Amino acid sequence: MSTFAEFLINGVSLGSIYALIALGFVVIFRATEVVNFAHASLLLAGGYVTAVLHDDIGFWPALLAGVAGAALVGAAVEFLVMRRHRGGDHSVLAIVTIGVDILLATELTRRIGTDILALGDPWGDAVVTVGPVTIAETRIAALLAAALLITAFLLAFRYTSWGVAMRAAAERQETAALMGIRLGRVSLGAWAVAGGLAAVAALFLTVFPTPGLERATSLAALKAFPAAILGGLDSTTGALVGGLLVGVTESLATGYQGDLAFLGRGIGDLAPYLVMVAVLLIRPAGLFGTKEPARV
Amino acid sequence: MNHRRQAVRGLAAALAALVALTAAGCSSKAKSGDGKQTGAGGVKTGEGVTDGTISLGALTDMTGVYATLGKSVTQSQQLYVKQVNAAGGICGRKLELTVRDHGYDPQKALAAYTELEPKVVGYTQFIGSPFVAAVKQRVDAQDKGLVLPQAWSASLLGSPYIRVLGATYDVETINAVDFLLKEKGLKAGDRLGHVYFEGDYGENALKGSKYAAGKAGLTVVEQKIKPTDNDMSAQVAALKQAGVKAVVISAGPRQAASLVGVAAATGLRVPVVGNNSAFAPQLLGTQAGPALEKMYWFASPSLPIGADTPTAKKLVAEYRAAYPDDGLDNGIVAGWTAASVFGEALKKACLDKDLTREGVDRALLSLNAHDAGFGMTHDLGDPTAPSSRESVIIQPDKSVPGGMRTVRQPFVSDAAKTYTP
Amino acid sequence: MSETLRSARLRAVPTRAYAWTAAGLVLAVLPFYLDRFWLQAGLFAMAAALGALGINLLTGATGQLSMGHAFFLAVGAYGYCAFAGDGTDGLAGLGLPGWLAAVLAVALAGLAGGVFSPIAGRLRGAYLGIATLALIFIGQHVLFNAHDLTGGYNGRAVPPLTLFGLTFDDSELLVAQVPFGAVEKLWYLGLALLLGGVLFARGVLRGRPGRAMNAIRDHRIAAGVMGIPVARHRAAVFVLSSMYAGLAGVLLALVFQRTVPEYFGMALSLEYLAMIVIGGLGSVAGAVAGAVFVSLLPQLLTRYSDALPLVSAPGTGGIAPGEAARYLYGAAVVAVVLFLPGGLVRLAARTPETPKSTEPSGEAR
Repeated sequence: MSTFAEFLINGVSLGSIYALIALGFVVIFRATEVVNFAHASLLLAGGYVTAVLHDDIGFWPALLAGVAGAALVGAAVEFLVMRRHRGGDHSVLAIVTIGVDILLATELTRRIGTDILALGDPWGDAVVTVGPVTIAETRIAALLAAALLITAFLLAFRYTSWGVAMRAAAERQETAALMGIRLGRVSLGAWAVAGGLAAVAALFLTVFPTPGLERATSLAALKAFPAAILGGLDSTTGALVGGLLVGVTESLATGYQGDLAFLGRGIGDLAPYLVMVAVLLIRPAGLFGTKEPARV
Repeated sequence: MNHRRQAVRGLAAALAALVALTAAGCSSKAKSGDGKQTGAGGVKTGEGVTDGTISLGALTDMTGVYATLGKSVTQSQQLYVKQVNAAGGICGRKLELTVRDHGYDPQKALAAYTELEPKVVGYTQFIGSPFVAAVKQRVDAQDKGLVLPQAWSASLLGSPYIRVLGATYDVETINAVDFLLKEKGLKAGDRLGHVYFEGDYGENALKGSKYAAGKAGLTVVEQKIKPTDNDMSAQVAALKQAGVKAVVISAGPRQAASLVGVAAATGLRVPVVGNNSAFAPQLLGTQAGPALEKMYWFASPSLPIGADTPTAKKLVAEYRAAYPDDGLDNGIVAGWTAASVFGEALKKACLDKDLTREGVDRALLSLNAHDAGFGMTHDLGDPTAPSSRESVIIQPDKSVPGGMRTVRQPFVSDAAKTYTP
Repeated sequence: MSETLRSARLRAVPTRAYAWTAAGLVLAVLPFYLDRFWLQAGLFAMAAALGALGINLLTGATGQLSMGHAFFLAVGAYGYCAFAGDGTDGLAGLGLPGWLAAVLAVALAGLAGGVFSPIAGRLRGAYLGIATLALIFIGQHVLFNAHDLTGGYNGRAVPPLTLFGLTFDDSELLVAQVPFGAVEKLWYLGLALLLGGVLFARGVLRGRPGRAMNAIRDHRIAAGVMGIPVARHRAAVFVLSSMYAGLAGVLLALVFQRTVPEYFGMALSLEYLAMIVIGGLGSVAGAVAGAVFVSLLPQLLTRYSDALPLVSAPGTGGIAPGEAARYLYGAAVVAVVLFLPGGLVRLAARTPETPKSTEPSGEAR
């Protein structure tokens, strides 16, 4: 039982990181209806800035710089690329983000080279033990950060003018534009915010229990895809629920792989996708996604 | 309408005739002789050898998942070539190493192999055992050039042209388990955790740990992971639950660091031992560093780069001079060993006055006690066996160059002696 | 039809016919001159072109984003091995004649696409894209773990194809003094398959189904109102696209002579998407052009890395050829969408096409 609890808590803490990444997808999708495949490299960019600066200016300023840096990269991508093609086919835009991702990822992996960079976080490898269950402090921090940020976004979408503008833009771009909403600003803001979120996620992805930032770190963003889809690409709550679901599924599938051996070992990576496909069969727009009204 | 068709047909026929003529007459691909000749010094030569140079190929990965290994191996081999050339070359000829980076992409790897194949005697390096397996048929049946893969999987054994240098993963794992039994208090009836990568490396190592466990009366608790898994929390929890007394890890450096770090933090204080690929000196700078120094060892097919041998010391000095920005790791040793074995085979083939691929292959088979300078002697006489079954046990240690200290000198465990892959 | 128009068409046809004949002849004689490396690169490009044709029907013409194309390539490649293999290597094999195995492998890929169609028919855009990503992960898991069928991590050997008494393997065949090995023989097979694939795709796109597909892409609801069975068409295109991928997989397997699971990963799917965007969405020529560009670019850069400025040989620091290829390929995707909507084929078109819609894409720059 205690092992089950440990798997569960591991899964929840891992899931909170996925939720942060998924939230980044959701923000961009809500504002522009584009799936951002370049999110993985925004993540790497944020982590890289933090890793490089933390020795000189300390951890917290470095983290801020990382968030700002990734936000800047995100905004630059929107301004230099996405904006030029607004109104185009969403599939084409999604493929463009793949191109952007290739460019950014190549540059960043070239810079990182073969190093494993530490981020200099204050938690180290400290753990908290509650009864029979141990959990890393970094993971508690991740959970708190995710909860805080996601609540903030829920409120922001509802009560700030930026949030309302974004919702309007997501609803119907043309009408929103006619009503005086500056679509450019909304989408620029969304990309910047997504970049910042990615930097925070990068931090929690590379601290203990993982050794540090390196070229393959961005692959973790792949696990956030099923999280974002599971919850519904346009739902903030969905990002949280999807993230947690993916984290818990992965953790349980890994932990009990001995009992699941008939499916082939190492099913942990696959399980989130299987859950996703199952959910999509029942709810094509994800658990919390807006159902498409048109059916012919 | 008719007129047009005639015109097209006429043109087509004319062109076809022209083509057939040129094809037969001028194509450089047209067959003439078997390409073998006798060159300077009365030495028979074939592909990749001229009177002035001997060309070698290196198929490496410097931009993909094995970039860390690829970089060290390649730079070390380039250093070897530089040194040999400075000393006058081999057989009165300069060595020339052509490097192709395939980025661990099968298509690029095959393309690079095909590109270099007509131009080189053989390959001092080929990273990626699936790709080696992909060209095996061609190597064995037609090309017959020597290939020295930088992978230690038993599945690569058996070809007279593709030769594994040093203990394979299974043998290495058997030796590692022996170390746990003899020096770390593991005993019959205990459970042994094994965390391993999906794929060639991990599954070959698992074969070794199962064999060793069978001999010593241990039970193996398996945990299979993927190279993209960086967080070993779930694995550690599962191993803890199973009550393991020691853990073997056949994965990458990051996974080893995470495993040891989590185990130390959550109170699974058992010895962890890894394969050669499960450590990189860069790890000592991360948060897992202290835990690694305390409870982690790994087995290696040769002494570490910081070893106390004349070759090692010389290599370290020269490598540092040539690549001041790069760290020292065991990839350098592996690259050096492969290049020196190839060089040795070339020297021998020169004495036999036969630098063709067949000549080099024959020369290699006669090398049965080659010392590459890192504590091991390699016997290349038997293509079905690795060139050595010896392993050393190394402990991470910040204070030594390369971050590695030898704690058990080259040995072959009894279980490994009787093991047949 | 007026007399002047007719004669204009008659005059235009011969020049085009000459151009095609000349191009065909050049392609036909290449095996006599090029060495194995280039022929192999060309074969990779042909296989890529077949796969790109498939995904262009799906993503380009019908507007369904698929990231699972590599999975169907794998089904084709491994399917061929399983049907043609004779079981002597300890892996499952039915020992069927090569041509039948190839046909069945393509059918199997189509079947796999059909099995996925309940999902493909229901999901749109991003949701479909990421759902198809699941196929890649499922595929990789099966390829690595179903040892008896796939051979696991080291893959399985591909039995050579025999057609009309000619075996496409490395046994030497002298043609006009030139030794023909596997790639030389496969070159012609590849050309024939590609020609067939191109003609079929052109037929589909120019006929009724093509118009229906474009209607679904541009105005899905309107298409449905007009009586186009949207779900059925989408499922059918998914199956057809999978079959193209399966055929590409068979050809690739024959060229590789061994199937390796590593190859059929997500990067391959992304490459196919890049191909059709670079070449031109929804266009047959575009798929071929994009495939040639994306598959030959890294080869050219690697081969001539010594002669290129900025690009340095591996191990000397600086930008490695592999990285340079990635920069160029990423930049090409972005640049084509920004500055050349419609892809490379637009460059080749003699008359600039008048913009069909009021998309701001062109003038925004």
